[in-house]
Amino acid sequence: MPSYVLSRLIVMAGQTLTWELKFPGRLLLSPVSVGLPRIRAAGKKDRIDLDSLNEEHLEEQFVRGSGPGGQATNKTCNCVVLKHIPSGIVVKCHQTRSVDMNRKKAREIMQEKLDIFYKGEDSGVLKQRKEQEWRKLEKRKRARETLEKKRLFKENVLADSKQGEDTR
Amino acid sequence: MEAFSRIYGRVRRLMHLHTGHRRQQGLCAAADVRLSVQQAADVWARRFEEAGVSEPGPSSQYIVAHVLGAKTMANLEPGILGKTLTDAQMQRVWELCGRRLSRMPVQYVIEEWDFRDITLKMRPPVFIPRPETEDLVSFVLSDLQPAWGAGFTVLEVGCGSGAISLSLLQNLPRLRVIALDRNKAAVDLTSENAHRLGLRDRLQVIHLDVMLDAEKVLRECGLVDVLVSNPPYLFSQDVASLQPEILQFEDLAALDGGADGLQIIRQILSLAPHLLKDLGRVYLEVDPRHPPLIQQYVEETKEVGLQYIQTHCDITERPRFSILQKTRPER
Repeated sequence: MPSYVLSRLIVMAGQTLTWELKFPGRLLLSPVSVGLPRIRAAGKKDRIDLDSLNEEHLEEQFVRGSGPGGQATNKTCNCVVLKHIPSGIVVKCHQTRSVDMNRKKAREIMQEKLDIFYKGEDSGVLKQRKEQEWRKLEKRKRARETLEKKRLFKENVLADSKQGEDTR
Repeated sequence: MEAFSRIYGRVRRLMHLHTGHRRQQGLCAAADVRLSVQQAADVWARRFEEAGVSEPGPSSQYIVAHVLGAKTMANLEPGILGKTLTDAQMQRVWELCGRRLSRMPVQYVIEEWDFRDITLKMRPPVFIPRPETEDLVSFVLSDLQPAWGAGFTVLEVGCGSGAISLSLLQNLPRLRVIALDRNKAAVDLTSENAHRLGLRDRLQVIHLDVMLDAEKVLRECGLVDVLVSNPPYLFSQDVASLQPEILQFEDLAALDGGADGLQIIRQILSLAPHLLKDLGRVYLEVDPRHPPLIQQYVEETKEVGLQYIQTHCDITERPRFSILQKTRPER
């Protein structure tokens, strides 16, 4: 069966990126190396640069059940199982009701997992998570400090007014 | 597991679920039982399994998620799963799951489904889009994308709920589409979905039968750049063995392609050279047995005026898509 080229248009935060992907259905054997651009992680406020996925290292499986498929089947399960062969990392995605969207999401999740796997502490994903966690803690700390200041202020005001009463 | 069995047993004894007038009794009795979101999904998954309903787990999950305003259980907040359902929610879950018990497809039960990046309203008996067809759209998009579809017109034969046409319009902001269907309900549903997605202005939906109104099709549609179709392609003899979800609820005329499944496909191919501009393309979803037959037909019948370009496989690696091109007339 001939492999086929699939172009996808991804619009991320106003920028437009296109890349050519090879989807063989099973592990592909293609002599042409695919030049994929760096992908920005979609849907995140602070975008981080993640290395692009090499489709040649990916194996895709679709949980569609047995049966003839196409018009002859009515099944709702559109689970996508994506495996990265060099690392052995497997991503399962059934977040949406569309197989196409699940394939896209599975790849996004795979990109993040690979970033952590290969870069460890240097991983942009881990750094971003740590930063988000730090910001949360800082926010809580500041909120506590503000409350403490208010409490002290109240106490002082009460103390002053009491003093005032005593001296009358 | 033991705790679930106890709850399930109690629910079953209280419910006495039946279709028809006794369902009302079941609903009233259900009010005595308090269930969490997860428990309701589990109860119904078990019920479906006992009744032999296909995809018992996913069916109950999609329905419960829908009642709670989400598309899938995975999209619900983690804390929600343990929350107790309100009376109204319980009633709605029971009502919808009762329909699924009668083998109504989930897509008709919740009256919507997703296709690629759009959500479409679903209504029996209009054909429910299949996941394989999402790739048919990908092939058309890859050819038209560079120009954002500017100045291009696509003709879709047999639009059903509008999945293919609307997906193309959604992704190609300057594309125009003409969609045909012989079923008035499909024409209405496509129009409704187009309206909901704000794509009505670039879509023309016409109630036409490509088999019976060929001349009218040629007159009304003019010359287009692309012809796309997921036509009825099942072999008549295979229709009887389809699952009850399809047999009892979907329009079988949207599935039956005649003895060899090629009846409508042949008609589309004979009309294509008169509908397409030079080098315009035909994208078809077909039965896995069809591609070599279509290729043979086109190559042996020179006057067809079409060249067979390529066969593509679907996500399950079955040959599923045929792409053809109108040849330039020889001078």
